[in-house]
Amino acid sequence: MPAFHDAAPSAQGDDVSSHQHRNLSVPSPPLAPAPSPPSSQPALLHRTTSSDPNRLAPEDAFFAHSPPRRRQQQQQLVDATQAPKQLVSQGLSNGSSSTSAAAAAALVASRVRAKERGRSGSRRRKGAWKKLLWVKQSYPDNYTDEDTFLDHLQRNPRLQPYEFWPLFADSTVIVQHVCSVIIFACCFTGILQERVSPLTVVTWGSLGTIVGWVLWDRWIYQEEAARVAKEPGLDNEAEEAVSSLSNSASASSSTSLPISGAAPATTATAPPQPLGLGLTIPGASSGILAPSANGSSHHTSSSSSFSPVTTGHPTGAPTFPNYSRFPPPGVTESSAFSPRNQQRLATAKSALLIYCALLGLSPILKSLTKSTTSDSIWAMSCWLMCINIAFFDYGGGVGVKFPASLSTNAAVMASTVLASRLTSTLHVFSLTLFSIEVFGLFPVFRRHLQHRSWRGHVVLTMALIMGASGSMGVTISRGGWKAATLGVILGSILTGLAMGGCSWWLIDLQKYKNEIRGPWDPARPVIRRRWD
Amino acid sequence: MISDFFFPQPGSGIESHIYQLSTKLIDRGHKVIIITHAYQGRTGIRYLTNGLKVYHVPFLVVHREATFPTVFSFFPIFRNIVIREQIEIVHGHASLSNLCHEAILHARTMGLRTVFTDHSLFGFADAASILANKLLKFSLSDVDHVICVSHTCKENTVLRASLDPLMVSVIPNAVVAEDFRPLGYPANPAENSVKTRGPLPPAHPLGPHETITIVVISRLFYNKGTDLLIAAIPRILAAHPNVRFIIAGSGPKAIDLEQMLERHVLQDRVEMLGPVRHEEVRDVMVKGHIYLHPSLTEAFGTVIVEAASCGLYVVCTRVGGIPEVLPQHMTTFAKPEEDDLVAATGRAIAALRSNRVRTDRFHDQVKMMYSWTDVAERTERVYKGISGALSEEEFYGSHPGGGWSATRGRAGVQGFSLIDRLKRYYGCGIWAGKLFCLCVIVDYLILVFLEIWAPRKSIDLARDWPRKKPIENGIVDDREDARFPASARVVRRRSGRDGWRDGRVVDPG
Repeated sequence: MPAFHDAAPSAQGDDVSSHQHRNLSVPSPPLAPAPSPPSSQPALLHRTTSSDPNRLAPEDAFFAHSPPRRRQQQQQLVDATQAPKQLVSQGLSNGSSSTSAAAAAALVASRVRAKERGRSGSRRRKGAWKKLLWVKQSYPDNYTDEDTFLDHLQRNPRLQPYEFWPLFADSTVIVQHVCSVIIFACCFTGILQERVSPLTVVTWGSLGTIVGWVLWDRWIYQEEAARVAKEPGLDNEAEEAVSSLSNSASASSSTSLPISGAAPATTATAPPQPLGLGLTIPGASSGILAPSANGSSHHTSSSSSFSPVTTGHPTGAPTFPNYSRFPPPGVTESSAFSPRNQQRLATAKSALLIYCALLGLSPILKSLTKSTTSDSIWAMSCWLMCINIAFFDYGGGVGVKFPASLSTNAAVMASTVLASRLTSTLHVFSLTLFSIEVFGLFPVFRRHLQHRSWRGHVVLTMALIMGASGSMGVTISRGGWKAATLGVILGSILTGLAMGGCSWWLIDLQKYKNEIRGPWDPARPVIRRRWD
Repeated sequence: MISDFFFPQPGSGIESHIYQLSTKLIDRGHKVIIITHAYQGRTGIRYLTNGLKVYHVPFLVVHREATFPTVFSFFPIFRNIVIREQIEIVHGHASLSNLCHEAILHARTMGLRTVFTDHSLFGFADAASILANKLLKFSLSDVDHVICVSHTCKENTVLRASLDPLMVSVIPNAVVAEDFRPLGYPANPAENSVKTRGPLPPAHPLGPHETITIVVISRLFYNKGTDLLIAAIPRILAAHPNVRFIIAGSGPKAIDLEQMLERHVLQDRVEMLGPVRHEEVRDVMVKGHIYLHPSLTEAFGTVIVEAASCGLYVVCTRVGGIPEVLPQHMTTFAKPEEDDLVAATGRAIAALRSNRVRTDRFHDQVKMMYSWTDVAERTERVYKGISGALSEEEFYGSHPGGGWSATRGRAGVQGFSLIDRLKRYYGCGIWAGKLFCLCVIVDYLILVFLEIWAPRKSIDLARDWPRKKPIENGIVDDREDARFPASARVVRRRSGRDGWRDGRVVDPG
């Protein structure tokens, strides 16, 4: 099958790229010097081979609009007139002739053709060709105007070239999540192999959650304070526009004022549940409730009545103007708590509810998959965890309400079926609670941490990496501290390499990006949204 | 003519394009048959006006009347029809029509000339477009010529299928001007033509407080710009007191439109007609003064030509091929933005109120611009070009470098040999190219098998419709004319009276 690709392709291929280099040696879009698009490249090469080189080919079209080429063409034209035929025939007969010759031949030929056309046109064609359909033009229907053809084509119009370090930094978000999944899996293995007590796991988890919640609470408070200080006379509409996560001006700071300090930290310590579990859920529900509270910020009254004096509490606890204007059901405005504490009370209540429900459900969960073999459970939870990682909302800001429900649901389901493998009700309960902490609450905290303090984010990432790789080491080798240390060292190095490698890879792949835009794309309608 | 989209399906302009073009080609002395898939309650063979024969081939319909892509299953019946009707050129329509792509592939395998007409624009970004573009590249790798309805469409198709721009012709759609007459225009202008009437009487001047009616006729889909319309209508009505709207068409966005009307209490100023048949479009259009076309993408936009033909001033968005379609004095262009659309409509209303626009002359002007006869003539030139009746130089322009081109072969026409065809398909992509080659080889083997199993001579030929001598003096009936051996016998048919009409065409044995 010698006819398939003779020597011509390579020559023509070089021709194409040499076009590019010449065209784009001038100021060019950052990634434009990439070789012609991967999707169409083989076809284009093929076309170049197979079609007459003196005919306008699609790859010419790609660059037809770049001004430098025209100038080049003019230059070429000077020597073009001298020996066009020889060049053409040379470029055609032995396709492997030098690339420059072939390129020149192509250019020359196209010029010559244009001239021919012009000459023959002078006979019966008058006037320039217009890109109009309603005019009867004296050009044939398949006439291709080389000056205007594909004039409106844009390549990669909105391209933002990636840079290494920002990309590397952004990948920490993914690493964090993967690490927390790994830690969860290792904890489960530990519990299953009875190397770790489920109580330990859940206690540590809950302690972490409490700390996280307290921090989160503080941040919200500080943010609110800063916002109010910055924009004292915020009116309703502006608020609506700005309303991001838990930033909404106090509705009834007037109501909160009289009782400020009345219940400073009572609710914070309100649910002294066994194992401190009660407090873990408040974090959860407040994390979930707070955004919903913002949604209703239409009803915020002017916060101008807000007095900064009330916010000065060192623990940031009292008279916090942040929480929902909607008091929890049953609590009226005239209740003895400030809105913020009402919110905390509601959080505690829902935490208690979840806690009790979990406790009641544990025996059922324990026997949930008795009739299923463990193999199926492993496979299934594996897939579910993969779904969790794949569909997790990595880019979500702090204001996201119920981020990535598919991902969270998959994780909770995975932990449920995993928990059903465990032996006692306590084990099941602990693992399920732990999974809620890890997959439900922890991401909320991570998001806020990243939003608040970059340093804290980095520290948390490193801690997670070390924790994950250490527990991996222990789990795999069933060893002790030595294995853990080895795991930490190895894991950290590997993670760093993977992060760097993937970032570099993505940057490298970006040169293949070839987005084509033109008048054929559906326009994006610009509609002013009015709220009436 | 082959397309999935043909009557009785209502909808876009493809059906009427195929029908009108076929009719005019028949008038020019060609024989045309149409192959489409069987519709609900319409199977077998139908005869339309002028002996236009339509084959409704049984086929599984998947989505919006497009058939299920089974690359080879269409081949036996297609071969049977082609041989029976002595077809020389296969002309497929619409890039979403699977039937058309299969037919082009099989036709090339059988050694027929193929033409493809693209009626739509596609992007390059979304997954559906990528797939569609790959398939288009497959079937257009080996097509003889492509026709696009606008220059924008040509650029798009050239990029999508990596075609040589010279083998893509731009032949616009047209309108039957007689069907889109303005009110009060004589039904038969031949007796009362512009010349004999002398200069037109001055247009009926529009009083400063006379109501201006804005007509919108479109399917109410997102890509038809219904969102823009919904946003713009209240503002236009608020700014201009003596204006009302007539909106015809249906679609998923109709409910949004109605909600808007209710919210702004505009029911007395906006009339919603619901879906209208294509025949009734003119009756709706002549009620108005301005035609508003807020589409977001459009390859040609036949409807704005129809509106202009009815004597309406056109306000449209500057998208796709629309800017090419109508001259400046008939249109006001807007960016696809709410504010600009409102402003453009305001300008149009002001222009009409000041009586600067001679909308009464639009009809005659449009009649000069677009006619199906012209389209058929230009299509005929394409047919002649690909079948070699026109010399390559004449058809593709002259090239001093010598016309070596594997795309079209040395003789100025594309070669049929399998190895040439494989070469063309191979370049479609690293994996796709090989897959396509495989398909072509299988297709070839099927042809060989069919030739043995159902030999050519056992298929009887259909007799031609006994038609009148073509009126055209330039072209004689192409059977007698040796100079144009293939002039668009797009499908030949002999009036098969017995047992044929009820559609048992399928049986190739």
